[in-house]
Amino acid sequence: MKPEIVSLKVNGQVHQVIVTPNMTLSEVLRGPLDLTGTKQGCGVGQCGSCTVLVDGTPTLSCSTLAIAVRDSEILTIEGLSTGDRVHPVQQAFIDLGAIQCGYCTPGMILMAVALVDENPNPTREDVKEWLGGNLCRCTGYVKIVDAVMAAAQTLREGDCR
Amino acid sequence: MSERLSIIGKSMSRWQAHEKATGAARYGADVKLPGMLVGKILFSPHAHARIVNVDTSKAEQLAGVEAVITWKDIPPEVYNPNKMNLMLRHPEGEIKDTQVLTDKARYVGDRIAAVAAIDTATAEKALELVDVTYEVLPAVFDPVEAMKPGAPKVHDFADNNVPMHFDFPFGWGNVDEGCGESDAVVEETFRSASNHICQMEPCAVVADFSVEGKLTIWSPTQHPFLVRRKIADLFGIAEGSINWITPHVGGAFGKYSGFCVEPVCVALAQKARRPVKIELTREEDLLSTERRQKYITTARMGVRKDGSIVALSENLIVDGGAYYTQNGTTTNVNIGSFLGVYRHPNVAASATMVYTNVPPTGGVRGYGNHEATAAREQLLDVAAAEIGMDPLEMRLRNVKHAGDPSSTGIPMETCPFEEIIKLGAERIGWKEKKARPKGTGSKRYGVGMAIAMDVSGAQPFALQQSNAFLKFNEDGSVTLFMNAPDLGQNVTGTMAQIAAESLGLEYDDVHVVKGETDSALFDSGIHASRGTYQFGNAVIAAAEDAKKQLLERAAKTLGVPLDDLEIKAGRIRTKSLPRKWVSVKDVVRGAIYNFEGEHLQIVGKGSYSPAENPPPIHAVFTEVEVDCETGVTTILRILYVADSGTIINPLAAEGQVEGAIQQSVGYVLTEDYVIDAKTGALESSNLNTYKCPGTLDMPDIEVVFYEDAPVPSGPFGAKGLAQGAICGVTPSIANAIYDAVGIAITDMPATPERILEALGRASVTAARN
Repeated sequence: MKPEIVSLKVNGQVHQVIVTPNMTLSEVLRGPLDLTGTKQGCGVGQCGSCTVLVDGTPTLSCSTLAIAVRDSEILTIEGLSTGDRVHPVQQAFIDLGAIQCGYCTPGMILMAVALVDENPNPTREDVKEWLGGNLCRCTGYVKIVDAVMAAAQTLREGDCR
Repeated sequence: MSERLSIIGKSMSRWQAHEKATGAARYGADVKLPGMLVGKILFSPHAHARIVNVDTSKAEQLAGVEAVITWKDIPPEVYNPNKMNLMLRHPEGEIKDTQVLTDKARYVGDRIAAVAAIDTATAEKALELVDVTYEVLPAVFDPVEAMKPGAPKVHDFADNNVPMHFDFPFGWGNVDEGCGESDAVVEETFRSASNHICQMEPCAVVADFSVEGKLTIWSPTQHPFLVRRKIADLFGIAEGSINWITPHVGGAFGKYSGFCVEPVCVALAQKARRPVKIELTREEDLLSTERRQKYITTARMGVRKDGSIVALSENLIVDGGAYYTQNGTTTNVNIGSFLGVYRHPNVAASATMVYTNVPPTGGVRGYGNHEATAAREQLLDVAAAEIGMDPLEMRLRNVKHAGDPSSTGIPMETCPFEEIIKLGAERIGWKEKKARPKGTGSKRYGVGMAIAMDVSGAQPFALQQSNAFLKFNEDGSVTLFMNAPDLGQNVTGTMAQIAAESLGLEYDDVHVVKGETDSALFDSGIHASRGTYQFGNAVIAAAEDAKKQLLERAAKTLGVPLDDLEIKAGRIRTKSLPRKWVSVKDVVRGAIYNFEGEHLQIVGKGSYSPAENPPPIHAVFTEVEVDCETGVTTILRILYVADSGTIINPLAAEGQVEGAIQQSVGYVLTEDYVIDAKTGALESSNLNTYKCPGTLDMPDIEVVFYEDAPVPSGPFGAKGLAQGAICGVTPSIANAIYDAVGIAITDMPATPERILEALGRASVTAARN
């Protein structure tokens, strides 16, 4: 398969990377771009660990070809913090015990960010439904849902990032 | 606690949660080294086959391939990939029957060969070029079939595929006589499910010989020093020449009590003379790493009308799969747990271990105990129904109390079973719920409960030792060196809380260096819920050692007697003259930047080997709704009451229990490790077919800690908690289903098909009668 140079805009920065047409976005992020915060739990789109935001939409990077998102804005977990300041969803995950082993965390957080962007006032049921495809094996999800609810409230109360 | 505690009992954020939330945390798969190769393993496509020949020449000639290995390249002796035989006084209890790469395939997924190449595509191509000639043999997948004469033999040394049979040596009384004296005797056969750990991070390992005289391994493990010794023994490398680094671990739950693929990775790195990383795919991880043993448990209980248990026994058939790993220990834990929770005069047990041509099993959260508790607690509800007694009352009549021996045989310092059962009963409204009508339509309501007991370590059965050391830094902060791996359970944060409390410092004053055998002292590793209890006590000892040196120095500086000093919030104060104080920082800095010839680096060391084994105890209450038309069980609510002594970090402790509940919900309702009955191939080989519970599968959960029974021997009164938190949940769900439909579901998981089948059988029987 013939490699080509593709420009990818990740976390606000444009990168020129050499990819073959069959390379997935997660391979490119974790490989040449060294953004290993994106985790791979299954490689076939069944666990949600590799979720990134493509133009604000949650996207399974293990099941997305890199060349297919060449014209998009890609946000990974590394791009969510602003300087020293973490996003309210990240802060809530840290404060409320939503993180144990941490492997599902980046995908879970980005998924939750997309939810609170779309629906600033979700119910617990909304959160559970939205995160239904993101698997976690450690937490029982209770504190993850707590964290998303708390972050939504923080954002509603005007955390102006 | 007589003293007021300032840090113990507070909900601190988990250790390194910030790193994990920002993507900075590095796991095995994230390790990158210059010149690193990709390692891949060739797994057997046959369930049972002799390997007549392996031709690797074509694979070796492929450009980009740096090493190809088979069993011929590996030390020839058989070994046991699990840690347990190094921890037992009598290591022959765990049989050595495994080769790193095998010359005979014993299950679909057995490891035949491995390659190291410049990238994944080349490695995969090379695997295709490894030419294996198999002589396919008949295979056996069912443990009962495997024991029959003439069944295919999985290992030559094991006649009838039974490598070991034992009668539990610690039985007492006479079960037959006890049953004779009983008013009712119930017997059931339970078939446990074999769920897979299925941690979110597929196993990933790196091995590197590039530093002269040093092998460095990055790998998730629960027992860094024990697995280091295993690699040392296998490859003839001195232990001191190996540094085992435990990176962040994406979930363990017992999985890393043995090797994942480390020996293969080391062998590839040795041959290629370059660093090698092996990352298993999800399918490979499901196929070729640890899962639960399958127990067929025939259990018998004799009871009197007043509810007292007179006799209890179990006979086990243990399907451990193709290799022995730690099936002996797991089964001993099963028997001890089965017999160790209630007071009863007559007990007996026996176990038959069986080899089959299915993937091997190993250590999974609550191993042995989980299946034993499920069988015992389900059987108790059947017995209670038989004598017409409330199962909760029956438990209260039979539970053990402080001073009684626990399931390990060691007398218990505390045992508030009665208190936690009553607390839970009141909180859930047991009496009213139990009396609630089951419903007349297709949906039936049920409520059930169960109790469980676990351990705070493996004493007196296994080597249990923790060593901690810490140093005071020039700024008055402390660095604690530890190698009890953090698997997400937050043992690191717990130890920081214990160190800070012991030293009179703030939580943020404690730094932790973790996860390297080169920079930590020996520790038995994380298993059996021993971290908080055992390592915590070692940390307290290390802190006391350092504190003594610090106060001696301060006493000199302040010119006051040593016993007049105390440390609070970073200040060393004179008890008699509260305004006379000196900061910890000034004392430490003065001891290091010392121009008077009285230089001192304060280092504290502490060791701990436990004499006690205080068991965490649990009472779990579950409400369900079972749809008798579809067979679907919906769990409405789970109430979990736990006694873990003092809770060091409530937020973290709750999270541990909530996670255990999730794994149990999966075990009972959604997860099924399915082997094709004709080929032995794994059918549930991905996350769509092996279904771990998601958010929508989870009921409402409430976790309550009973903290009125601090443990005298525990650090600040704490004991173990999380491992065994899975044990009581499974039978409480099963008992709620039993309450709803009146039939004990004895085969797990309780899928809709199984429930419909059981209901169908019952209605056929009813029609006949």
